[in-house]
Amino acid sequence: MSMTQQSGNAVLSAESEAGAFAIRAERLVKVYGAGLTRVEALKGIDLVVRPGDFFAIMGPSGSGKTTLLTILGLVTEPTAGGLEVGGREIYGGRMPDLARIRREETGFIFQAPNLIPFLTAKENVLLPLSLAGVRGKRAQDRVAELLTYLEVAERAELYPNQLSGGEQQRVAIARALANTPRIILADEPTASLDTDRALAVMRLLRRISRENGTAVLVVTHDHRLIGEVDQVIEMEDGRIVLKESKGGGDAAQQANPGGSDS
Amino acid sequence: MNLAFGDVRYHRLKFFSSTLGVALLIMVVVTIGGIIRGVILDSSTLIESTGADLWVVQTNGAHPEVGTFGPFVEISRLPESIYHAIAAIPGVADASPIVTAWEHVPQMPRPTWLMKFMYINALLNTRTMVKPRWMAMPHAQRFEVVGYELGKIGGPPVIVAGRGIEASHYEIVADVKTGFHVGQRVRLGNFDYTVVGLTRNMVGFTADPVIYMSLRDAQHFLFQTDPNLLRSERAVARQQAADLAATSPRLVPALTAHDEARLANTLYVNAIAVKLRPDANAAAVAAHIHSWEHLAVYTAAQEVNLQLMGSNRLILFQLSLFRDILVLIAGIVIGIIIYTFTLDKVHEIAILKLLGARGGVVYRMILQEALFMGIVGTLVGSALELLSEPYFPRRVVATSGDIVQMLILMSVVAAGASILAVHRAVRVDPRSVLSTG
Repeated sequence: MSMTQQSGNAVLSAESEAGAFAIRAERLVKVYGAGLTRVEALKGIDLVVRPGDFFAIMGPSGSGKTTLLTILGLVTEPTAGGLEVGGREIYGGRMPDLARIRREETGFIFQAPNLIPFLTAKENVLLPLSLAGVRGKRAQDRVAELLTYLEVAERAELYPNQLSGGEQQRVAIARALANTPRIILADEPTASLDTDRALAVMRLLRRISRENGTAVLVVTHDHRLIGEVDQVIEMEDGRIVLKESKGGGDAAQQANPGGSDS
Repeated sequence: MNLAFGDVRYHRLKFFSSTLGVALLIMVVVTIGGIIRGVILDSSTLIESTGADLWVVQTNGAHPEVGTFGPFVEISRLPESIYHAIAAIPGVADASPIVTAWEHVPQMPRPTWLMKFMYINALLNTRTMVKPRWMAMPHAQRFEVVGYELGKIGGPPVIVAGRGIEASHYEIVADVKTGFHVGQRVRLGNFDYTVVGLTRNMVGFTADPVIYMSLRDAQHFLFQTDPNLLRSERAVARQQAADLAATSPRLVPALTAHDEARLANTLYVNAIAVKLRPDANAAAVAAHIHSWEHLAVYTAAQEVNLQLMGSNRLILFQLSLFRDILVLIAGIVIGIIIYTFTLDKVHEIAILKLLGARGGVVYRMILQEALFMGIVGTLVGSALELLSEPYFPRRVVATSGDIVQMLILMSVVAAGASILAVHRAVRVDPRSVLSTG
């Protein structure tokens, strides 16, 4: 913790554009275990994600994609480095309420829809709102709006096991959007879908990103989906080895040898 | 949004079947409590129903300073006339002679299907414990006779059918548990008695039903000398009179009259029930009676204590321990069920944590489900117990107070039982939802 805080203070104080970034990570390091079992999962990751960005994080298994995602999603604490989410410095001083920031700033989409099986589709979407203390008509209106937006309004009263895989994933996306997060972190959201459905999900995420200014980070193995994202971040052995802009006309950047890319 | 409600609603079959299991367990716990209360009521009903403040009994012959534990759990015999003297003590409102004893009548109530079932069940349960014919169906019913002076305290407090005793002889009021009906003629000893009324829940501390009769009838029934013994005694008396006639013939009539009076005398009682005036000092009245040095006095509470802690002590201790064990088992069962349910929800708990749910949200869900099981289980179990109460052979009485106490107890037990599940939930890692890459 102290190592993280020291590093965070040092690396983030240089920038003064707080709020301009959805996520700003500098020199993120994550080490699991110690001694012979020591594994350095992330080796100094620098990353800036702005509102409306749509990134794909790719790389082989064990390259650190999910570790990066869990750190950005405030589920895992980095061993060192600085992190700012929604303009709030996370590990730079007094530890903020991570559960609250996670609730308010981020939405998660998983490989499996991971809906709560004992709640209806509507209640699943209502859940993050309820956790955030949003209740009554405001919450109900928001749920109706999201289910309509994702074209599953007619399935609102059904339980997840009564929905198709695609419908479940759309309800999961609606749940991720419920609290109007600045960032959506998607972990292999299309892995269990066929190509058409996978493309449909990616286009939906792109639409959400464009229309709402939500930053979307998608961890994926699926190269067929690259065309749908703005940027591709290629990871290998805990480092970003390639950061390539798609469709935006930016020149492709090669990662520096140290794995740091700003 | 209530997550526990959603979980119970969705897994209703699982929850309600588990809760029913808990309810049946709690039904047994409440029943044991009801049996305990039944034993307490059996031990106190006769004392309480007389409304007597003091009970005067025989002293112990060897140690006159110590009374017998009569009249219910130990033999006590007093001359009837003593009650007149007690009634004259300042502060005494009423002094009533009471005769009481266990007796049998060779007449069993017609066995119901339930009694037959319980008999067969008892046979099966004891088949390896008894010798042949030990468990033969009895042909005589035991009951407790209570004789009282009509118009004084000590009679049946409630008549649920027929009327109270009005004639001095050959009328009885019986508890409904005897199986007698109003108008029935019942042979007790040498005489036939008519059942003129029925009372309810009037049993002795052994749970045997009570038969009320007039004091004179009870004295004749219980104290009349056996005719064979009477003949033998009279023969001895005649011989004594003949011997006396040879030396002192003028004393013979007096001796004969004394012997006859002695042999025919049934004017004994087992206790005197004393009702005090509202302003009377019980200790002062008891001290007054003690000062005569041939009577012992107990308060109503002491008299109940003699039955409760003297005769029914071990069964009370045993039932109370058994009840504690069952409550403990109910707690363990709820704990295991809730823990298993929580294990089934580990993935959902990880999702909840990932969505930003604080620990309290998850713990509240587990606690609410445990409380649901404890409270609904208690209510259903109590309802089942209340429905089954009339079918138990001995008195089982669970009150609303017992059920409220059980609700509080089971809520605490359920909360405690959820600790293990909460401990498991604390260790759920939200990262387990994510893929590994």
